[in-house]
Amino acid sequence: MSWHSVITSRLRALFVRDRLERELDDEVRFHLAMQADDNIRRGMDPVAAAHAALGSFGGRDVMKETYRSQRAFHLIETMAQDLRYALRAMRKNPGFTAVAVVSLALGIGANTVSFTVADALFLKPLPVSNPGSVLTVGSTTDVDRGGLAASYREYVDIRDRTRAFDGLAATTVMSAAITTRPDALPAVRAGALVSGNFFAVLGVEAALGRTFRPDEDQVPGRDSVVMLGHDFWTRQFGADPEIVGRAVFLNGLEFTVIGVVEKPFTSLFTLFTVDFYAPLMMWPRLSADDRVRPLDDRALRSVTIKGRLTPGVTIAQAQAELSAMAADFERAYPESSRHRTLAVRTELQDRMSYQPNLVTMLVMFSLLATTVLIVACVNVAGLLTSRASVRAREIALRLSIGAGRGRVIRQLFTENLVLACVGCVCGLGVGYGGVALFRLIQMPTDPPTPVPFALDGRAAAVAVAAALLSVVLFGLVPAVGSARPDLSAAMKATDAGSFGRRRQWGRTVLVGGQVAASVVLLVVALFVHLGFEQRLATGPGFRTEHLLTMTFDTSLLRYSDARAQRFFEQVVAQAHRVPGVKSATLSSFMLMTGGPQEFFAVAPEGFQFPEGQDSVSLSGSSVDEHYFETMGIGLLKGRGFRATDTADTPRVAIVNEQFARDYWPGQDPIGKRFRLDTASGPWAEIVGVVETSKYRHIMEPPTKFLYLPYRQRPVRMMSLLVESFGDPASLTPALREVVRSLDGSQPVFNVRTMELVYELRSTSQMNMIRAFIAVMGTMGLTLSIVGLYGLIAFAVGRRTREIGVRMAIGAERLDVLRMVLREGMVLALAGLGIGLLVSFGAARALGAVFPGGPSGDGRFDVAAFPIVAAAVMAVTLLATYVPARRASRVNPTEALRCD
Amino acid sequence: MKAKRNNDKSDVLQGTLILLVLRTLEALGPLHGYGIARRIEQISGELLQLNQGTLYPALLRMEQEKWIASKWGASESNRRAKFYSLTAAGRRQLAKSTGEWQRMSSTIERFLGPAPDGLREEPS
Repeated sequence: MSWHSVITSRLRALFVRDRLERELDDEVRFHLAMQADDNIRRGMDPVAAAHAALGSFGGRDVMKETYRSQRAFHLIETMAQDLRYALRAMRKNPGFTAVAVVSLALGIGANTVSFTVADALFLKPLPVSNPGSVLTVGSTTDVDRGGLAASYREYVDIRDRTRAFDGLAATTVMSAAITTRPDALPAVRAGALVSGNFFAVLGVEAALGRTFRPDEDQVPGRDSVVMLGHDFWTRQFGADPEIVGRAVFLNGLEFTVIGVVEKPFTSLFTLFTVDFYAPLMMWPRLSADDRVRPLDDRALRSVTIKGRLTPGVTIAQAQAELSAMAADFERAYPESSRHRTLAVRTELQDRMSYQPNLVTMLVMFSLLATTVLIVACVNVAGLLTSRASVRAREIALRLSIGAGRGRVIRQLFTENLVLACVGCVCGLGVGYGGVALFRLIQMPTDPPTPVPFALDGRAAAVAVAAALLSVVLFGLVPAVGSARPDLSAAMKATDAGSFGRRRQWGRTVLVGGQVAASVVLLVVALFVHLGFEQRLATGPGFRTEHLLTMTFDTSLLRYSDARAQRFFEQVVAQAHRVPGVKSATLSSFMLMTGGPQEFFAVAPEGFQFPEGQDSVSLSGSSVDEHYFETMGIGLLKGRGFRATDTADTPRVAIVNEQFARDYWPGQDPIGKRFRLDTASGPWAEIVGVVETSKYRHIMEPPTKFLYLPYRQRPVRMMSLLVESFGDPASLTPALREVVRSLDGSQPVFNVRTMELVYELRSTSQMNMIRAFIAVMGTMGLTLSIVGLYGLIAFAVGRRTREIGVRMAIGAERLDVLRMVLREGMVLALAGLGIGLLVSFGAARALGAVFPGGPSGDGRFDVAAFPIVAAAVMAVTLLATYVPARRASRVNPTEALRCD
Repeated sequence: MKAKRNNDKSDVLQGTLILLVLRTLEALGPLHGYGIARRIEQISGELLQLNQGTLYPALLRMEQEKWIASKWGASESNRRAKFYSLTAAGRRQLAKSTGEWQRMSSTIERFLGPAPDGLREEPS
């Protein structure tokens, strides 16, 4: 009987009660009918015959009761028996149990951690009703494969024309200053502007009050109503049940609270909690920038569209409809929709499209974790196999006294299941520790971004699945094998050595594979380690020490462009005068924060774009004339910005070396021009070239970047960067005072030292990832050493007699040592060779995560290979040497006597 | 019911019933519950009073031990009935308990029969 039919019959007994009960009734009825027939044949009348049949059958209810309890008892009894036996067997072999449980715990734990991280970032379903059917629609280009976004006008057109979608909702993220009194110092909170049907389409309800009515999103600027996020309501208003009807102020505008969003819904994004929701129609009034017309500008694509398909429509049909619409848009609005298409994506596709690098990283994590689990299972399978031949006699005995093969397999299976259960529980512990490590990741943002890694029910389910999978992987082969021994051979054999040679072979292959897998794990770990070391040693390319940053958003106070510029000029000028300040500068782009970045459409003069593209979107920053000096970014050519680069002088720009090299290779970039914003936008002349630094992340490949003088390109939000002589943090009060003296209601946020930002975004994250990968590499190696050691020790143990004989006929201790060592080393070397070959491919694949290889310049670095090869050789030699030495110490007289 | 039972008839011992069923199935091949009960009563010359109802829990237990297997089929009177048949394990079990039973009964017989010389106490 195979294990699955054991399980199905158990499940049947548990869940198909009713049918079994009916079958028993049928059987009894048949019995009584047959008896009555016989009675009639003997001459009774039918009534008496039936009565007599009942009589001879005996009490039916009592019988049924016995039958039922027999059924239940048998189930519990045999399970309890198996369980007891399994626990006894585990206790009897504490060494085996410990190694097996630790192996499994490591494998299961590693998978739990990698799942938890992937789940938090990509897999967790949206907290809405029926999340699987929510799709994302938006505009994209064939060239740029980023996330989907749309302009509000595009949203309206798609919404009104679509037949494929059953409702399309739109939303855009916006931060706003929120207060309960108009004169209070505002706190900046993340919010979302949503279409009137947003909550209806998503199936999200109000925990308190109501959600938006469709008519509240029809007239621009009319309905100043707001819903609060559940978290925000609890934190800020102490979950005040009277909140509905109260007034709050968003960027100084009065809004009426109409409800609180139900708890599970935090936002559409995995890493981000929204504190308030307002109708999209309030967008123009909330954004202080009068030049921006978010509801009319077709080129301003910052709306996310979510929707569900009309029943019966497929994604392909929806995509066809959108493609047709995109063609119409392109014809009707060539200015804003040229070369653009519309696409529909599932939630997972959408999430992955934003962070392809992270996806690659997580896929690598999962592959590593799976490898560790497989190595662990191979280990346990190896241990079980060696134990199986030790136990062969016990099992043969049990078979010979009448135990069914099914029963024996079930017994062994139960043992494995118990092992896996304990491994699973310990694995959850390991997972908990791993997740705690990942929770240390912090994002330097204001308001803080919580890192949503938690070991939840989903992670536990994955751990259980991994445990069950491992039972199948490690348990089944030895279990089936053990129950099919040659009975007489096993009973007779005093030396089990002649028994199961072929299985031994299988185990050799497994251990070789294990060594190979651990080589791959180590190469990957070392590759990553070297890459990180190298990047961290090179540094970010800008100053991180003695630097304090703080951010102002003048749009929160509805400053005009001119006022904003005056404010920024005054802030820098006064900051320079603060004692302890060496220099101060302004930048619209915050390095390394992972926050929003500004993109500039750029069309370099004379550069031939591929068909379907007329400009390229690049990151950049508006800065002042002190920027490069303060940040320690070297000017390579030309000049820096000057205070005289203003709106009245010709547009100038400074680009980084990467930019210059890509667009004007081998030429002098100074004096070259590019069009800004669109292919027909104004010309900007390049006056300087600076070093390429890191901008968003320490691991990023060299990226094109451009700088514009902020006086020529007004911005509302800037960060002040102050270089100090001493401790930068000590300047905070004085600088806050400077801001307060300029405008008492100006909120200051993101006050941090650059060192901390760099630490949080680079060093600590890198170290964590490095630690995770290093731990997996070490786990893999440890497990395969245990495997190798176990195999050799087991082989030596079984061959004690043979070795004794060899020594008795003149073999030297050294010969024996050499013989056993050779056996182990052949295995290790084979594993090493295969492992190195596979690693070669893996290391190339890693290039996707660390573009340019660990050295960063595109050279394929082989430094990891000799190190790993040497390390693996050393430890496998040790793992073989210990049992080999024991073999050489065999005393021939004792060895020959022992059995 | 029990009170009315004829005193000449003996109750079937629990372990014995299983042996009887195994033997019946070995002799007759696949058979339904009623057939097994009838056969046991016939063979024992109606001397063994089988409380027919007790047969079914016993059949279940034997099935759980994998000594017998069951299958639904049509009876001789064309009714739907559950047929039991002996498995390989059942055959082994039958051989084993037959041997045990024979050893046991011959031992008891030796006790109950005329005392052989060897069993008589040595006169002192």
